[in-house]
Order: sequence, then structure tokens, then C-alpha cells
Amino acid sequence: MSGFVYNQLKKICESLGRHNDALYAVLAIAMFKGVMRPTFTMMDKESDPKSKKYAAFREGLTEAIAFGSYLATHNMVLPLAVPLARKTGASPKKIKNGLSLLSVCLTAGVVIPVVCNLTLKPIMDGVSKLYNKKDKSFGQKLDIKENTTQLPLASAIYSPKLSENSKNLLNTVRITSIQNYGMKVGG
Amino acid sequence: MLGPFINAITSNSFQTIAQNTDACVKIETALKAVGRPAFTLMDKNTDKDTRKYAAVKELLYQLLCFGIYIAIIPPIFKNGGFKLAQKIFKKEGLPAFQNAKQMLAYHHLAYMTPAQRMLDKNKKFRDLIPATLVNPKDNNAILLEYLIGNEKKGIKPLLKGTMEKQGKMFELAKGSIELSSIIGSVIGLTILAPEISHLILHPIMNALHLKPDENGAVSTDSQSKSSSSEQKFLDKQA
Repeated sequence: MSGFVYNQLKKICESLGRHNDALYAVLAIAMFKGVMRPTFTMMDKESDPKSKKYAAFREGLTEAIAFGSYLATHNMVLPLAVPLARKTGASPKKIKNGLSLLSVCLTAGVVIPVVCNLTLKPIMDGVSKLYNKKDKSFGQKLDIKENTTQLPLASAIYSPKLSENSKNLLNTVRITSIQNYGMKVGG
Repeated sequence: MLGPFINAITSNSFQTIAQNTDACVKIETALKAVGRPAFTLMDKNTDKDTRKYAAVKELLYQLLCFGIYIAIIPPIFKNGGFKLAQKIFKKEGLPAFQNAKQMLAYHHLAYMTPAQRMLDKNKKFRDLIPATLVNPKDNNAILLEYLIGNEKKGIKPLLKGTMEKQGKMFELAKGSIELSSIIGSVIGLTILAPEISHLILHPIMNALHLKPDENGAVSTDSQSKSSSSEQKFLDKQA
């Protein structure tokens, strides 16, 4: 191992040994998921290019939301450490560590799902509209979540046998929508 | 109200968890397994059956991530990374910890006051550190004596601040465990979990009868075939 790499690795390890924030791991996961999952999606040669683009963009976007949410909550919560330390007499450093873990938990369990529920649909709608000006087929055959509000066949997923009508294209697309509804966030 | 909350988050146990990548990621994944399906079910823009399906799928995926994480991170990345770091940083004179657990037990005790280290509840951590473990950089001084002292030799236990100043916290060793845990978490949750879930998740969903009938999903005309392949593709992304 070269001297430079060795020294950098040593610095990183010493720094993590002195202070390891709960934020580091979750940010690393969100960042790599944001890069890797769209990359894997785009590398899938069996799928339609338009489908891939749509799915990859959606995956990248959810991870970007996760990454931003972690940073935002962390930065909102940490300034509370000093006033809390003054009030209670506890160590500000320990309060910061504790608040950092709490903010990560709060973000993973509540903030990201809420932000995804609120923002993903309008953003994907907007992007689909923009893209449709260039290519009308983008996102139409492939509605993942956005048009699932009017799904008369939603109950079909629980029925072992479907009617003859279920063989038509429209139903197939609707069922696709049902299967792919959800956040699929991994940040 | 504020007092107990601050006491809880500044307690030694909470601080150890907050400084431990492995524990943080486990908590985060467990919360995702609860929070995401719950919020999916609460989404009133979607019909009930679709919400149910998505929530079950979300729950299973997060549980699967949790299982994969527990199965691969501690044995492979935490211990493997620590062993590798011991080889890489051989010339730094680190104590010969047998495994990551032993090092983390030392670190956990070092963060406490000498009185806390002697409590019965911390015996499991004391027992993990053998009396033969020495610090090569301090004339082979026994590590356990840093923590609990030795009355016969007249050695007093060291305070956390003193240990930090004298380089007896072995941040390099602790940091190598955290770094390998972060790398393992990224690989486990970014690459392995989606691939394994693709193999496992859909058979489970099928077993739970949460899948549209094949007849409904596949049609004979070419357009339907195309949509079916898209469905297959998108399922892969789940």
C-alpha cells in the first residue's frame, strides 16, 4: 500500500474512532443507493429503454430525497444541543451524539416516507409532462405509482381467478401499477 | 420531562449505540420496517388494496434487509475488516485484540468512569478482555489494568480523558471497525439486499396470494407482451 493511501486510510480510521456519527453510515447508504440502483437499472439490457429511464430517475430521486432529509434534520436538530446542555448541565458533546442518532431514526422512520409521499408524485408528474413533449410514450405505459388513485381492478390482486376482461392491455397495465406502488426508498 | 430525556440520550449505553455503525444501521432498518408500511397504509390518495399490497411488500423488503444485514455485517465486514486493519496497521503497535467484539468491549468500558466499569452489569465486557492483552507501545502494560487498576501493584484505573490524551483509546482500531461496518452496510444494503430480495420477495408474495393471476397479467397480443415484460422489469426493481 502506497504511503499516501496508507496515511489517508489511517486518518479516516482515527477520525472515525474519535467520533463516529450515526449520520455517516446512512448518508453513505443513501448516496451509494442513489448511484448504484439507477446504474443497475440502466444496465438491464432486457428492458425497454424508456421504462429503464423512468425507473432509474425515480430511484435516484427517492435516494436524493433521503440524502437531503438526513442532512436537513441533522442540521436542524444539532443547534439544540448547546441550549439543552445549558439547561440541564449535561455534556454538549454527548447531547449532540444522542440527538444525531435520534434525528437519523426520526428521518428514517417518519420524515423520508412523508416527504416521499408528498413530493414524489408531483415531481414525477412534472418530469413525465416535460419528457412527453419530446417523447409521448415516456411514463405512460409505465405508471408506477402516479395513476394508482383510480384503480378499479385493485381487488384483482387478491382474486385467484380473473375475468376474461383481465386479458386486455389496460388491465395488465393497471396491475403493473398495483405491483409497483410504494416508496421503494432505501436511504 | 427534559431531564430524563437528556439523561437517556447521554447515558453510556445510548452513547455507545450512537457511536456504533452496526447498531445505528440496525435501528434505522428496523424503523424503516415499521415506518414505511405504516405511511404507505396511511396514504389516502390510493385505494385500500393497493396500499395493503405495497405495505406488505415494503415490510417484507425491510425485514429482508434487516436479516441480510445481521447475517453478513458482524461476521464478514466487522470482524474481517478489523483483522485486515490489524494487518495493514501492523507497524502502529496496536494491541493484539482477538476480534472486533473484544476491542469494542474495551472501548465501551473506557468511556465509563472507573466506578461504572466495576458494576456487575458490565462484568460481561470485563470478561471479554483477557488479562494477557497488553499495549506494546506502553512497555507491554496490561490493558485490563488501565480500566480496573490493580491493587496489588498499586495501579489505579485511568479516567477516560487521561486515556484519550495518552493514546490508550486505540481510535485507529475502533475506527477501522466502523469504516469496515460502513463499507459492509453500503455493499449489503445497496447491492446484496435488492438482488436477494428479487429472488425471495416475489415467491413470498405469491405464497401470500398477493400477486395478480398470470392470466390477468399476460395477454396474447404483442402490446400486452411488452407490458408484461415491463411489469417483470419493474418487479425486479422492487
